[in-house]
Amino acid sequence: MDPLVQSSQATPRGLHSDRRAEFLLGAVVAGVVGFVLAMIAFVFLEGWPSFAHNGFAWFGSGGSIDRQTEAIFTSANLKQEPIYTFRAWPIIWGTILVTGLAVLLSFLSALFVSVFVVEFAPDWMRRILEPVIRLLASVPSVIMGLLGVLIVVPFIGQHVISDDMRRSVSFIVSLNGYSLLSGVLILTLMVAPLMTAVFVDGLRSVPRGWIEGSLGLGINRWRTFWKIGVRTARPALVAGTVLATARAMGEVIMLAMVCGGVGFSPNPADGLIFFLEPTKPIAAAILQSAEELTSPPMRDTIFAMASVLLFSSLVLSLAGWAAKQPMKRYGVRA
Amino acid sequence: MNTKTKGLAAALTLAAVAAPTTAEAATIAGSGSSANTPYIEALFKAYKKVDKKNTFTYLSNNGNAGVKDVQEGRSAFAIQTRAPLPSDSGTSYNKLFLDALTVSVHPSNKLTNLPVKSVKDIYTAKVNEWSAYPESGLTSPIAAFGRVSTAGLFTFFTAAVLEGAATATSVTPVDKDGEVAVAVSKNPSGIGYIGLANSKPANGVKRLSLNGIPPTPSTIKSLKYPLSRYSWIVLPANNPNKAAVKFADWIRSSYEAGQVLTKLGAVPAFNATKPSKKKK
Repeated sequence: MDPLVQSSQATPRGLHSDRRAEFLLGAVVAGVVGFVLAMIAFVFLEGWPSFAHNGFAWFGSGGSIDRQTEAIFTSANLKQEPIYTFRAWPIIWGTILVTGLAVLLSFLSALFVSVFVVEFAPDWMRRILEPVIRLLASVPSVIMGLLGVLIVVPFIGQHVISDDMRRSVSFIVSLNGYSLLSGVLILTLMVAPLMTAVFVDGLRSVPRGWIEGSLGLGINRWRTFWKIGVRTARPALVAGTVLATARAMGEVIMLAMVCGGVGFSPNPADGLIFFLEPTKPIAAAILQSAEELTSPPMRDTIFAMASVLLFSSLVLSLAGWAAKQPMKRYGVRA
Repeated sequence: MNTKTKGLAAALTLAAVAAPTTAEAATIAGSGSSANTPYIEALFKAYKKVDKKNTFTYLSNNGNAGVKDVQEGRSAFAIQTRAPLPSDSGTSYNKLFLDALTVSVHPSNKLTNLPVKSVKDIYTAKVNEWSAYPESGLTSPIAAFGRVSTAGLFTFFTAAVLEGAATATSVTPVDKDGEVAVAVSKNPSGIGYIGLANSKPANGVKRLSLNGIPPTPSTIKSLKYPLSRYSWIVLPANNPNKAAVKFADWIRSSYEAGQVLTKLGAVPAFNATKPSKKKK
């Protein structure tokens, strides 16, 4: 008997085990979904007292966030009435700036590098570049943080920031190299390889016939690759960007080491100094406050910060999914 | 003997071999001050000769967090650099040795002394320029570094130098004591408050005298140096771990611990000055 026919005529025992596997895998998936939902609910519920005390003002600005944090945990240390006043705008703005600028820089560099790797690089160079990119994507963030503290921060502090720049804002904030720029540069170095790896895979899965068809019509390689390769791989570009943005938003150690740890909102109106001002993204703020997790008001505040980060990740994932939908009709799925 | 019986026999044999070891040897976890980490690590090493059985570990997560660890039962002991607060209920504080908080600058800074009031002026941003102190030989803006507000050293500095005033927003807070030393050593305009152990010339910083008094063992022991302070060991008030208590006693009183502390720059306060004679 034909083996295909034989396998399709499953015995009752085979059918039974298939159903068991289905049921088991379904239960695992339901368990994972349940765990994620429970985690989201837990984080939001734990952070609720902080939101409830502050209302929408929680997301606004007003006063020094560092002083507010200090007052929150000191109130517990001194066994006073718990203090909950918290205005999170400086850390929300810090997260937007660091993540946004790093992802923008990474996107541009990753796009050019991946186009070069897939289409223009000679084979010997491709064989070197690809493993190097993947290796860079896996460097632990604490190593990047050390490089930042020992090389990037002192370089910016001594060679980029002038005394006049320091003086212009010295009554508000200290310019010493621990800055938005340090954070953005190192974060770019961390997320660009990740983005490049995804982009390379996406560009490589563009059907070769489409590219060759265009070349056969006499259109040059560069134009062919931009108009057909990159456009077709847009879902992969979106997926890589979403992945890299999530990685950038959740980065903690390196940013806590090089951004300056000051709850300060860098002001674009300050001109170039804006990039040299210190900042503190949400993830770094959570890390620096985590030692006070056992103080009840501080714990609620930390969970409130965590829920904002979690909500941002959810929105990001949904936005990435929505952005890919219209592109899927034409391009590569990712 | 079938497979199940063999497995059971092997498990019982393993349990019999392992039981005496697990019953006696233990890992004693401590946590707390990052400024005291160099002392504690060196003391662990020396204490291995005294207590060969137990393993001591230390998590440098800052003093206030260490005390919370003891309260929550996560650590058997904590090392703290500030005096007890009302929130430290359920713990007992014991002085271990004398240490000092130093105010340090970059080695290229010619300044050798600062009044404590001037340190306060710098950290409250009343003074922002080195030109206010011509002896420094600098005219650049001051880059002041401090600690995050959860650190015991922050609490001590705020009370002892700032007299409760708020640290200026222009002070850059960093997470660990050693990071302050790195930041100051890399910045010619830098100034920072650093524990004694991390402010040696080898750390790339220069300690300043305060009110004309340098942070030397004699000035720290006599408490003349303005930022002299005790390092404390924090234990649970009830049923403290016996091995941790013995370790604390050894640090406080033994000649050997005193030698380790002296070598690292701390000042033994209660230690024997001569080695004890071994009983025959």
